[in-house]
Amino acid sequence: MRWILPWLLTIPLAAEPVTFNKHVAPLVFQYCSPCHRAGEAAPFPLLTYEHVRQHALQVVAVTERRYMPPWPPEQGYGDFVGERRLTAAQLGLIADWVKEGCPEGNPIDLPPKPQFTEGWQIGPPDLVVQIPKPYRLAASGSDTFRNFVVSANLKETQYVRAIELRPGNKRVVHHANIWVDRRQWLRQREGEGGQPGFPGMDVSTEARSDSFDPDSHFLFWKPGSVLQPEPDDMSWRLDPGTDLIINMHLQPSGKEEVLQPVIGLYFASHPARLHPMLVQLEHDGALDIPPGDRGFAVEDHLTLPAGVEVLAIYPHAHYLGKHFDAWATLPDGTRTWLIKINDWDINWQAVYTYRTPVWLPAGTTVAMRITYDNSASNPRNPNQPPKRVRTGPRSEDEMGHVWLQVLPKKESSGDPRLPLQEAVMQRRLEKYPGDFAAHCNLGELLVTRGQYREAISHFQQALETEPASATARSGLGASLLADGRLDEAIRELKQTLFIAPNHLNARLNLARALGAKGDLTSAEAELNTILKQKPDNVDAQIGLGFVYLTQKRYEEALPHFQEAARLRPGDADILTNLGALLAVRGDLPGAVKAFEEALKLNPKHETARAYLARAQAALASKR
Amino acid sequence: MLAMLLLLMVSDADLLSPHGEKAVVLLFIRSDCPISNRYAPELQRLYKHYSSRGVEFHLVYPESGLTAAVMEVHRKEYGYTIPALLDARHQFVSRAGARVTPEAAVFVQGKLIYLGRIDDLYADLGKARRVVEHHDLEEILSAVVAGKSIQPRETKAVGCAIEELQ
Repeated sequence: MRWILPWLLTIPLAAEPVTFNKHVAPLVFQYCSPCHRAGEAAPFPLLTYEHVRQHALQVVAVTERRYMPPWPPEQGYGDFVGERRLTAAQLGLIADWVKEGCPEGNPIDLPPKPQFTEGWQIGPPDLVVQIPKPYRLAASGSDTFRNFVVSANLKETQYVRAIELRPGNKRVVHHANIWVDRRQWLRQREGEGGQPGFPGMDVSTEARSDSFDPDSHFLFWKPGSVLQPEPDDMSWRLDPGTDLIINMHLQPSGKEEVLQPVIGLYFASHPARLHPMLVQLEHDGALDIPPGDRGFAVEDHLTLPAGVEVLAIYPHAHYLGKHFDAWATLPDGTRTWLIKINDWDINWQAVYTYRTPVWLPAGTTVAMRITYDNSASNPRNPNQPPKRVRTGPRSEDEMGHVWLQVLPKKESSGDPRLPLQEAVMQRRLEKYPGDFAAHCNLGELLVTRGQYREAISHFQQALETEPASATARSGLGASLLADGRLDEAIRELKQTLFIAPNHLNARLNLARALGAKGDLTSAEAELNTILKQKPDNVDAQIGLGFVYLTQKRYEEALPHFQEAARLRPGDADILTNLGALLAVRGDLPGAVKAFEEALKLNPKHETARAYLARAQAALASKR
Repeated sequence: MLAMLLLLMVSDADLLSPHGEKAVVLLFIRSDCPISNRYAPELQRLYKHYSSRGVEFHLVYPESGLTAAVMEVHRKEYGYTIPALLDARHQFVSRAGARVTPEAAVFVQGKLIYLGRIDDLYADLGKARRVVEHHDLEEILSAVVAGKSIQPRETKAVGCAIEELQ
């Protein structure tokens, strides 16, 4: 009787007719209406029976081929928030409904119309910034990639818990990324081609900063995305003097379109306590795709030195990308899939957030494999006939990245991101021996860890690649200073300032080195040079304070410590030093107050506690 | 306005029967189909070039719920100067055998000689080529204008389904 089974399966379980109100509406409201409504990206509304009936054949055509709802990741290779995938049974329901002539059904079966928030998704933002002038997109032509520079004009550092992009014209914006340009590097390109913004599918923000501050958040928008504020303790830092770059993929619509994107920023009440990090798998250096090649592959992997939670994933390639695989091999050999995309389409690229963070213990290897189709039969191929393609930011170049947003597990007192950053940079050196950025990064990282000799060696190797780099030479000077090699440090730092006279860190370290050698006059001169340029530089204020303190010039030292304390109110060290200075000047009540404040900020501050006891004892003996 | 209303009333027999032109092109479009909208500049270009060379063009809107007023708004929005007809009863759809928008039907002496895509910009839904290789409609029109004899042919157009009448 086994032959009966498949036959039985084709019989509908119930003879109930498929109707819009009972069967189709719930699917439409959940999967279609979020984008198919007025003001959203999709071309026509799907909110009522009439709407759907007037597009019935189209709905069947696009759903049965899984063109709609758009959801590129394969099922079973990662469990993501906001998954929009119809089951085979649901697809069958829609097809049957149309085959039966689109019956509307009983009104009592119709679920309530979906409700959507109009305007800003989570209420009025704390700050709204807009590109100054609208951008005009021509009626025809191929897709355009445009970057708009906006400045938040902040007076003080803020911590961003949510950012909402309103693209200004959702019909033509396929997706958008927001990048943080901490050095305002890209504003010089604003206005290229006589219109707001500048072209480019990817841009490098050159976001190297002097302090360890890796990228940590995906700021991504796609049609129909629901705004998700960061968890309370996971905001990201936005400083004064920082630009935001809105990178947009625009598609001509057949008529001229005007758009003027707006960003709404929502600030957190306190700095972040959890620091995620973006880890990139890539091997762009190996991207060299011969014309006609249909299966060119690029791979990368990274072994994690510490356990991490993977929060989200962002695969990225251009038009030739075909298959994406990303997975993790755990220390016990088992494999956890991170994502699989079988028909890559840049039009639907997105950041995917895991419904539950994926835990990967120390020793796990994460890996990616991306294949490319550079044949003439790939309709998306930008070159006909195909050409040799290498890596680059233009849409006719290629890229192959899998970005992971991970939260490293805190295992000791140090910053849990540091070991991970070190592993990333070591891996980078394996892929690109002599890589400048990797050597600089490792140098900085090893200085903070106290491994000065290794840091010196990395900066020296960085300088072999780029001898004129002020960043690398300043790093070398700082490492030599930390290692106590003062003469060499002074030589390198002076050389740095010869190349880059405004390099603040180099001048600060030069002053420290000179001070350590006992040349207080020269140290004082360097610090005054800094303060003439930047009176609010706390490190220079403290440095000058010490220069005077060492020479027992207490009256001159005092205003500098006071200014430092004013500029950085939460710093227990500054208050302790200020207290000590007040004490030697005989202002015991003032000293006690400063030590108490320091202890309020940091009750474990041993020096402040010891000094407080001595000051209180001295006060008591005076009475 | 008067001319438009007159056009709405013509029957397919009147429009497609020979009346001195080299060919009649029906361009099936939908007001809410992003693929057909994206073709507006290209269709206008073909119209400008070939209408002065003896080819007659008509936009055909096969949407049953569409009013003449909404159709006019759409034409203006996308800069169409090609005359348009509302095919609410699908007489032109049936005559040409059109299935999707945008799709072109070319009639010579009342006989259908081409039905299909305008060009190969779209390989599939969501798969726009970066480089258009085959300008199918233009090839047909230039052959017609040159007075060459053409074997009737069909291509597969990619776009939004023309819905069945209720």
